[in-house]
Amino acid sequence: MELAWYALLGLFFAAYLVLGGYDYGVGLLLARGTDPARRRAALNAVGPFFLGNEVWLVAAVGILFGAFPMLEGELLSGFYPAVVGALVGVILVTAGVQLRSRPAGERSRAGWDRVVVIGSLLAALGWGALLAGLLQGVPLRAGGHVAGVTHLFTPFVAAAGLAVLALVAAHGATFLTLRLPAADAEATGRLARRLVPVALAAVGVATVLGLLSERVRDTVQQPVAGLLAPVLLAGALLLARAALARRRPGLAFAATGTALAALVALVGAALWPYALVSTIDPGASLTVADAAASGPTLRLLGWLTVPLLPALLGFQLMCWWVFRGRTDGRAPVYW
Amino acid sequence: MDTLLLARLQFATTTSIHFLFVVVTLGLVTLLVGLQTTAVLTGKPVYWRLTRFWGQLYVINYVLGIATGIVMEFQFGLNWSGLSRYVGNVFGAPLAIETLVAFFLESTFLGMWIFGWHRLRKGLHLALLWGVALTAYASAFWIMVANSWLQNPVGYEVRDGIAHLTDFTALLTNPSLGMAFGHVVFAALLVGGMLMAAVSAWHLIRRTPDFVLFRTSLRIGLVTAALSITMVQGFGFAQFGPVGQVQPTKFGGGPEADALVAEWTARFGQGDYTPPVLASVGLGFMILIGFALGTLWLLLPLLWRDWAIRLRFPLWLILLALPLPFVAVILGWIAREVGRQPWVAYGLLPTDQAVSGVAPGVMLASLIGFSLLLGALAVANWVLLARHAARGAADPALGRPPTQPPADTRPVPAFA
Ligand code: HDD
Ligand code: HEM
Ligand code: HEM
Repeated sequence: MELAWYALLGLFFAAYLVLGGYDYGVGLLLARGTDPARRRAALNAVGPFFLGNEVWLVAAVGILFGAFPMLEGELLSGFYPAVVGALVGVILVTAGVQLRSRPAGERSRAGWDRVVVIGSLLAALGWGALLAGLLQGVPLRAGGHVAGVTHLFTPFVAAAGLAVLALVAAHGATFLTLRLPAADAEATGRLARRLVPVALAAVGVATVLGLLSERVRDTVQQPVAGLLAPVLLAGALLLARAALARRRPGLAFAATGTALAALVALVGAALWPYALVSTIDPGASLTVADAAASGPTLRLLGWLTVPLLPALLGFQLMCWWVFRGRTDGRAPVYW
Repeated sequence: MDTLLLARLQFATTTSIHFLFVVVTLGLVTLLVGLQTTAVLTGKPVYWRLTRFWGQLYVINYVLGIATGIVMEFQFGLNWSGLSRYVGNVFGAPLAIETLVAFFLESTFLGMWIFGWHRLRKGLHLALLWGVALTAYASAFWIMVANSWLQNPVGYEVRDGIAHLTDFTALLTNPSLGMAFGHVVFAALLVGGMLMAAVSAWHLIRRTPDFVLFRTSLRIGLVTAALSITMVQGFGFAQFGPVGQVQPTKFGGGPEADALVAEWTARFGQGDYTPPVLASVGLGFMILIGFALGTLWLLLPLLWRDWAIRLRFPLWLILLALPLPFVAVILGWIAREVGRQPWVAYGLLPTDQAVSGVAPGVMLASLIGFSLLLGALAVANWVLLARHAARGAADPALGRPPTQPPADTRPVPAFA
């Protein structure tokens, strides 16, 4: 029962990283062009999906709160700086994308676009830092509370944050290659091909730093899963590069998306059976079973979620289907 | 400054900002459903234009509802980790249900509605708006279930110092839920109606060329507001009974309150168990505003033969009264939330045990940071709203027909 809920939590967060990830990737790429029409086209490509992508985060936190109340408090307050950073990023992107086209002047639009860039940066770094923080454990006391915030500031966390940033940027560029009108996709395809090696290098650096860090080695419970993570990521990125070179953006997008999703799955697997590992007191570590809500709560949520999940997925699929294909002159413009 | 006070201040600030946008969302979406349904049924162009104009304002307002809502959701874990630790088994359930049942679908539907103009069939497009409205109400309902549980914990038992869920239906039949939900819903409709009437009044004062359109929305707004204020008053007074019964210390002392305080003193030790006066001040001023807004009924007869517009001063009155309902909703929440002190969950979990073990400096930084960030975004959002409201209904970006003619009606699938 707990495992099923843990998997569902992972699924929602992974879906958020994949879907929200391309929002942030596209957001980061706004920093590049000064041409207003190109920025507009990029946001228009995200267009109808934008609101539906972010809700995966909201739902993931809902599941975290409902099904893993113990974990929720310690996880979020234990990684305070990372979570607040990511949260500020999410807010800035949300507000920036939706408001940027409301003023008519190009100057204020450019201002809002900078807000989107900063927000995307913070969100990618913050979630990367959170995932890395999980891998290096927290100073959790038996009494329950995580002490301090400085435990988060290590080279590994910084490198992992940058790696997720690079992944997200490559993912966003791949998305644009898939979605922009064929004529404009050429340039983003080249950009994506250049970003993939950057992401590869960043993942490599984070892996080395992780292997060198004693805290990470102590925290990871399943070394196989831990080592599989960089291997899978590298494989997916190489596949993405090959697909981009062969002009198969659909395949490349699937590969970069898999890389982001695999990250979540493997961080979860590497810590199993724990959800949160304590660096100072092994007895204080939270196992997934300890962190879960008690039986009646999980059963209640289960009765509700099982019939609901198909509807949730169905409406998301409907959104992707209705607005499938490359954007063209006829696509509604709103952001 | 201790962490507790800072965390409370942060919660109060961010929720208040959230709610200022949420009431508008809830109120406007209801009116929009009416407008678009009328447009589809009658096919009259004025209703299509009304839908686009008010829809545009609705969507701009929605942005901050989401942004601040996400902060609210995270704040429970960030600042109130004791809440999830001790009562998360019960309190978390309605919040989880809310995110899955309501928010998830609401935003998905809204994204399709915004981009679905001229692309989806009319019936489907209208159905999406209905979906947005229904899920918005569902979200308000489940949030109120969660909040009512904090006001009056029911359906649980404490084992090993932690609350476990025993009876979920008790959460749904909570005495502090029913009347409060009605009160909130009609308060939102009142806000939506007032906003619609006030924006229309502004255009009519400026002798807008779009007379027919704003005359229509002035009428819709005013009638909605007048009907709602009566319901708000009704549900408001109806709250005193059940809430006073389950929370005797809330509306001032009495023998029951004294007995409860004696019991708490025995169980939790000496302490101040009476809520701060701020709660009753908030309550008093809200009720004052409620009575003042009751005079909206006096304006209704002036709709006959457009006297309200010809006389002009009623338009000014409507415009000047616009801040009142916004002030009232915040005061009402202060009455409800401060009136529950010193408990997070009334009689079960004291507020000081729920707060996270975060250092005061970190909490202060996050309080200042979030207040400035959300405050700035809120102001920017209101400025944009005001500009778009002032621009009039000539050509809102929402639902603007695509410029280029279709090159090919079916796009090429990209996943190839
Ligand atoms: C447009 C806004 C508005 C107006 C005009 C009123 N209220 Fe209100 N009131 C609210 C908006 C609101 C609210 C913000 O929606 C609250 C906060 C929590 C809740 O359930 O509703 C609230 C709370 C609230 C409470 C507190 C419940 C509790 O502590 O649990 C009471 C007793 C009343 N109201 C009663 C009234 C009366 C008797 C009114 C007028 C004659 C009135 N309200 C007008
Ligand atoms: C949106 C409207 C709301 C407003 C304006 C509001 C306002 C406030 C205020 C003013 C406080 C501070 C009270 C004090 O410290 O004396 C507070 C605290 C709090 N509220 Fe609300 N509230 C709202 C809705 C909710 C809802 C729906 C929930 C639960 C689902 C909730 C849960 C809490 C919690 C957990 C605290 C912190 C603990 C405490 O101080 O009691 N609030 N809120
Ligand atoms: C204090 C507790 C609260 C929390 C944790 C909370 C959480 C959230 C979240 C996460 C969102 C964004 C959802 C999205 O991405 O679409 C949101 C929006 C919303 N909330 Fe709240 N909320 C709170 C209080 C309230 C209250 C008191 C109401 C109404 C009575 C309310 C009604 C809504 C509605 C209708 C939306 C839809 C978006 C919008 O309003 O613009 N919320 N809330």
